Amino acid sequence: MDELRNHVKEMLANGTVAAVIGYKEAGSPMRTKPVIITAPEEAILLVFNEYCLNNLAVYLTKARVKNLARVNGTIKKLGIVAKPCDVHAVIALIQESQLKREDVYIISFNCNGVVKDYGETLTGETIASKCLHCDARQPLYHDKVFGELKDLPASPDEELAKIKSFDDMTSQERFEYFKNEFDKCIKCYACRAACPMCYCTQCITDKTIPRWVESSAHGRGNFSWNLIRAFHLSARCVGCGECERACPMDIPLSLINRKMLEVAKNDFAYLSGRNLETPTLVGSFDVKDKEEFIL
Amino acid sequence: MKIGVFICHCGENIGRTVDCPRVSKAAEWFPGVVHSVDYKYMCSDPGQNMIKDAIREKGLDAIVVGSCSPHMHEKTFRKAALDAGINPFLCEMANLREHVSWVHDDIEEATQKAIDLTRMAVEKVKRNQPLATIKVPVTKRTLVIGGGIAGIQAALDVANAGYEVVLVEKEPSIGGHMSQLSETFPTLDCSQCILTPRMVEVYQHPKIKLMTYSEVEKVEGFIGNFHVTIRQKARHIDASKCTGCGLCITKCPIRKKAFNSFEEGMAYRPAVYVPFPQAVPNIPVIDETVCTYYKNGKCGVCVKVCGREAIMFDQQDKLVTEEIGAIIMATGYKLYDISKKPDDSFIKGYGEYGYGKYKDVIDGLQFERIASASGPTSGEFKRPSDGKEPKKVVFIQCVGSRDDSKGFSYCSKICCMYTAKHAMLYKHKVHDGEAYVFYMDIRSGGKMYEEFVRRAIEEDGVKYVRGRVSKVYEQNGKYIVKGEDTIAGMPVEIEADMVVLATAMIAQENASTLAQTVGIPYDKYGFFNEAHPKLRPIESTTGGIFLAGACQSPKDIPESVAMASAAAAKTMVLFGSDMLEREPVVARVNELLCGGCFYCRKVCPYSAIEVREIKDRNGVVIKEVAYVNDGLCQGCGTCTATCPSKSVELMGFTNEQIFAQIAAL
Repeated sequence: MDELRNHVKEMLANGTVAAVIGYKEAGSPMRTKPVIITAPEEAILLVFNEYCLNNLAVYLTKARVKNLARVNGTIKKLGIVAKPCDVHAVIALIQESQLKREDVYIISFNCNGVVKDYGETLTGETIASKCLHCDARQPLYHDKVFGELKDLPASPDEELAKIKSFDDMTSQERFEYFKNEFDKCIKCYACRAACPMCYCTQCITDKTIPRWVESSAHGRGNFSWNLIRAFHLSARCVGCGECERACPMDIPLSLINRKMLEVAKNDFAYLSGRNLETPTLVGSFDVKDKEEFIL
Repeated sequence: MKIGVFICHCGENIGRTVDCPRVSKAAEWFPGVVHSVDYKYMCSDPGQNMIKDAIREKGLDAIVVGSCSPHMHEKTFRKAALDAGINPFLCEMANLREHVSWVHDDIEEATQKAIDLTRMAVEKVKRNQPLATIKVPVTKRTLVIGGGIAGIQAALDVANAGYEVVLVEKEPSIGGHMSQLSETFPTLDCSQCILTPRMVEVYQHPKIKLMTYSEVEKVEGFIGNFHVTIRQKARHIDASKCTGCGLCITKCPIRKKAFNSFEEGMAYRPAVYVPFPQAVPNIPVIDETVCTYYKNGKCGVCVKVCGREAIMFDQQDKLVTEEIGAIIMATGYKLYDISKKPDDSFIKGYGEYGYGKYKDVIDGLQFERIASASGPTSGEFKRPSDGKEPKKVVFIQCVGSRDDSKGFSYCSKICCMYTAKHAMLYKHKVHDGEAYVFYMDIRSGGKMYEEFVRRAIEEDGVKYVRGRVSKVYEQNGKYIVKGEDTIAGMPVEIEADMVVLATAMIAQENASTLAQTVGIPYDKYGFFNEAHPKLRPIESTTGGIFLAGACQSPKDIPESVAMASAAAAKTMVLFGSDMLEREPVVARVNELLCGGCFYCRKVCPYSAIEVREIKDRNGVVIKEVAYVNDGLCQGCGTCTATCPSKSVELMGFTNEQIFAQIAAL
């Protein structure tokens, strides 16, 4: 922890970064919240532990945060404390031209997993399900890395089992399942707010002339919102699970996003946010692409 | 807004199935419509006058014409609108012919559909914006890619019209395949005799900049405004000093290391060479791969003998940028080498008849070189293996052409004719020889073509056997050709001294890569696609890029030349005006809402999307947004479909317009 604080302090003091987005303790040592610091003396606030749940990459595209990087007519780096899985989001944002690699300073950790929810001790039962299928516990890209890898507590991946069970269902059964889940949606758009990949200046849902997405919170409106979100994220979602964590109605959004991720992985060998050199799946064309799904 | 609706009967075409007066009556009640009529021929003069008069008298703001496809008469009605004083883009069409009368029988239902389509068009036109045609300047210079007969012809035609031409050829000399041919059908003109004057004319033409041993590396820009990067490969000879005396070539000690590709591999060439004696320009190139100097830094005989100090071993490739207005693709073809499977192709590979295994089984171009007076045998018929005169020659047609299982489905078109020519040339020189031709059909469409084939059969006694050859194998120095005579209905076996295969004409090496570089579509075989198979055979779908010759599909010389002249004419049409007018149906980005993900840029097939930086007052970039280059945009709408936040719209087809149309249904 001291290493992190000292490093950030130094980076801020010598002007390498204009601001650092990180985590600070929130009321209890088993709970954190995001903090953006600009002064070296504030570095003492920073923490990194298994309670750093937020994906801070979401702040990188916010105008107010970007403004922090504009100092005296030049653009400085923004520092970000990112778990290796959150680094994927940073990379995906770079791939989608939302920021430049040289404008972001990635401080990452060799990650030993995070909890599902604040206030729990990290065990096989309480570990977040995304950590169970994690393929990158060490950051793929970073400017500074801390921490040592330890063994993860073992536990079965129930989420994956659930996705697999969908394959055995009829489309009608799947439809019923999601209809029931989406019925709970109150259209608060917390999923959108928490998602690092939802950076559009104006979301298509908010467009009124013409109105593309039914905005009312009834069955049809809920369906169109959630499905359009799923489509807009397919092969872009990095699987951080923030949407599901943000959802006040406990809709299992990760199930959809993770299924889409599996499809992109199996059919096109593509995982979002893993490689700066690979072109994004949407928007690139390869004559060898499978096309049996084209009618 | 005052809208006028004009329903056309199109004679009987629409009127037979659609109750036009009823459509016009129904349209009167659509909100915004103040005038609605029907007439037998709206596109006729009186019909157009009805429209013009109504616009003037009733003060219409916009019109809807319910008639044929906009492809047919949109221009006509827009012009009428313009003449009457309203913006032509406030004219919409409802297609009551192709979309209704021609595809439906039931009058009641068809009429209802016609009413619906008209209502949709009315709702759309209410949201139409007055648009202005886009004007872009034109650089009046042409790039011709490929220096074969098609490229030469196109370059000369454009240059003679007074416009500058850059002619790029990847080989050290222009001339292409035609320079390799012995004589040409159906007149038996000496190929080089008719070609070389044109080659010289190109070289001497003040308007033509000839760049041989060069390849197009990058094409940016759009119709009238291309920026082309050309790689001039290092010749290792200073072209400004070389006089073409050829001393270096005669003195070069490397004699048997490199095959002469001009002689189709039937002879050797030195490390420093010109492809053939009449090469244009007559400046040699040094082949780095075989030259001793590049192996161990020794030799240098050429340096010693060159009186002009023109040898430049350290010369490097040079990148040259040219500003170009139109591009003519004339990259030609190559022959299908059946001895190996084509790289990276869906073609299975032929691998028959012993080609590549037996020296005396050759292809058409090799035969041309044997028959040519300037060829490796000085025009005497000698077979490659032992130099003896072949007394029995079998010609096999359709090798790899018209073959779905192992070759290409298409007909290579020229083989029937050149095989007849080959057999004839052989018979003219070897009077006691026998020539057999195995054919599937004889396709000799063309002026004097059928007569030519008949002459080969009747006057020169070439024996035509209708059937396929199943096998060619060697036995006691002879080649046993086993086949079938399908007319006699019996197997045939011929002991031949030489076998000539009319192998398929296929797309040039790397044609698809070049197409991607230039930005034009190509078919599954690698031939470049024309914009319309009947009405726009010269244009590619990309504005300002035209096709000439066999790069589009197999062609003979007169067709290639005709196409080249047509392509030249097309560039002149383009250069006829200083500014280019384009329809304003282009994409527009809402810069306020654009999130700058640039998915539009990734999917745009015309590379029309650019990055625009939005800066604050200190000049610091706040954000980057997409920007559409009007000159390049073809209005396909792929970007509008891709944009996740719908921040890009197609003018004339905005989302609002389309939604209104759907809502009206």
